[in-house]
Amino acid sequence: MRRTVGTLLGKSVAGAVRLRGKSGGQALPGLVVETLVPGYLGVMLRQLPQGVVIITGTNGKTTTTKMVVELLLAHGMRVLTNPTGSNLTRGIISSVSQQAKRGGRLPFDIAVFELDEAYARQFTDVVKPRFVLGLNASRDQLDRFGEVDVVARLVSETMLAATDGIIVNADDKRLSAAVSSADVPIAYFGVAPQLLTYFPRDDELVAVDGPEPTLEAADVPLGVELLAFEDDQATYRMAGQELKARLQVTGQHNFQNAAGALALVRAVLPDVDPTELLEALAAVQPAFGRGQEYTLLNGSKLQLNLVKNPASFRQGLASYVQKGTSLMIAINDRVADSRDMSWLWDIDFTSLAGRTVMLTTGSRAVDMALRLQYDDIPVGSVEPDIEKALTAFARLPGDKVIFASYTAMLRLHALLEKNAGKDL
Amino acid sequence: MKLHIVHIYPNEMNTYGDRGNLLVLKKRAEWHGLESVIHYYHAGDAFPKQADIVLGGGGEDRAQDAIQGDILRIGDKLHALVAAGVPMLMVCGTYQLFGKRFITHEGREIKGIGIFDVETFGGDKRLIGNAAVETADFGTLYGFENHSGRTRLGAAQQPLGTVIRGNGNNGEDKTEGARTHNAIGTYLHGPLLPNNPKLADSLLILARPELTDTLSAAYDDLAERSRANARTRKY
Repeated sequence: MRRTVGTLLGKSVAGAVRLRGKSGGQALPGLVVETLVPGYLGVMLRQLPQGVVIITGTNGKTTTTKMVVELLLAHGMRVLTNPTGSNLTRGIISSVSQQAKRGGRLPFDIAVFELDEAYARQFTDVVKPRFVLGLNASRDQLDRFGEVDVVARLVSETMLAATDGIIVNADDKRLSAAVSSADVPIAYFGVAPQLLTYFPRDDELVAVDGPEPTLEAADVPLGVELLAFEDDQATYRMAGQELKARLQVTGQHNFQNAAGALALVRAVLPDVDPTELLEALAAVQPAFGRGQEYTLLNGSKLQLNLVKNPASFRQGLASYVQKGTSLMIAINDRVADSRDMSWLWDIDFTSLAGRTVMLTTGSRAVDMALRLQYDDIPVGSVEPDIEKALTAFARLPGDKVIFASYTAMLRLHALLEKNAGKDL
Repeated sequence: MKLHIVHIYPNEMNTYGDRGNLLVLKKRAEWHGLESVIHYYHAGDAFPKQADIVLGGGGEDRAQDAIQGDILRIGDKLHALVAAGVPMLMVCGTYQLFGKRFITHEGREIKGIGIFDVETFGGDKRLIGNAAVETADFGTLYGFENHSGRTRLGAAQQPLGTVIRGNGNNGEDKTEGARTHNAIGTYLHGPLLPNNPKLADSLLILARPELTDTLSAAYDDLAERSRANARTRKY
């Protein structure tokens, strides 16, 4: 009964929202169903024969979720997932009601949800996940979370709610230690000891001289290990085999995320052939605003990269800034970006020495330029209006990279999807 | 003569970008033609012999616990430096430890070194948001506060300034921070110094009176634009 009522209600609210041409229609149907049909999400998701899988952590959720979904699809599973960006419970309710049959049946084998650290924890009170993948915990939106320890605790509690297994980053000691005594099986993923220096943990990110950061290798057996990477090629050890793949989703952090995705898929499908998994991984394209590439009118390429916090900005600078690439940085200060700009000061921009950042834009364009001034990086121009900045940037010759905070990325993504190949 | 800047507990007290304060002092010293030497002071180290400016940042509760024993150990040294007029900037967690005591939400007492006659009480709701503070010596300060502690000033303790936006020490009495000689305690992150170049230069001049405030305005064009935005920001 609840299945049918909630589904029809969700579909009709979504229909009404579409009719009125309102944007942001993802949350409203979820809000209405959540209020009027309590318990809807739980009864709906309990139909799924393979249950629910959650991916959470500070960085890499969207890309990792996309990888997991596509790997499962490639192995013939019918996968329900949440659309990018609506990683809160209401967005998931909306998505479930819209993808269910009118009678309330969900025609899927498994659900794979990307969930925000705080909402993931709440979600586990509604539906017990079979597997949870915990990626990392790092300083992010501290005006919302207060402290990094709070983020780590939320991610750990979500992992501990898993009924069938936990998949955890062995190199994030806060997370792996917190689940070590769990009573479900734990599958660890990680990077080879010689690569640890590329993946600093939160405390190492900002450490200065004095005691050396402990780059000790994880002392647990790794189910999936990133052994090496170069350009777009990554080598993994999995099920006793060494396997190489050329990925379209590049960047060292994404090679690490892929290790988590592989470990999760192996937990869901224990008999899957590792070689086939790597082939499917190689076919995955970058997710929404996370390394997506556009070809512009003048033939040059432009890559759009979300940067959310010091860790992701640092990884972006290390992975995507090539010789000759022009750079633009877009920083807003809405709640989803962080109201507080202090995170910009935990990033070391001195790796850009000798370059000019062509433009800074967004509501905090001035603050970004001020940050760069103190690392002696000149800025071509400061243009808070994102559309104007993109137009000016797109006209420059040569390949381009944009680093953008969350809502700035959404705006740039919308502009680029509409007009990338035209005169921006 | 080089400027010796001591940054205390950089690996523990560093949560909210406060290392930016160090970067700003170092760079502005350079603009003033002064070479600086950075000393990172870690728990257990001998305190640097030369200390012209001392900086400390905010940290998580756990980090504050970890350094508390050590700061009591070097308390006398810090008192002597304050008495000698050495400028200091202590933000958030280190500001609290420069006070007399911190009483946690659970009633546990964490002893501080008492450079400021202040006491802090753990609160249940964090005070978070853009803040502005009017000061006599450094003009209007713009920053971002994020703290759960409520700090009360002793009767004779001078505050850093008066809250014109945000919560300041406790959200009630409109005071923000504390000042004793040239030591400043504050809840303002942001970090504080990039948007408040006058305060940054004041710290440098207090450390090196022979410096004068003669930097060309071009250096602070971006900071002034950022301050203008902060003045009119609605949220």
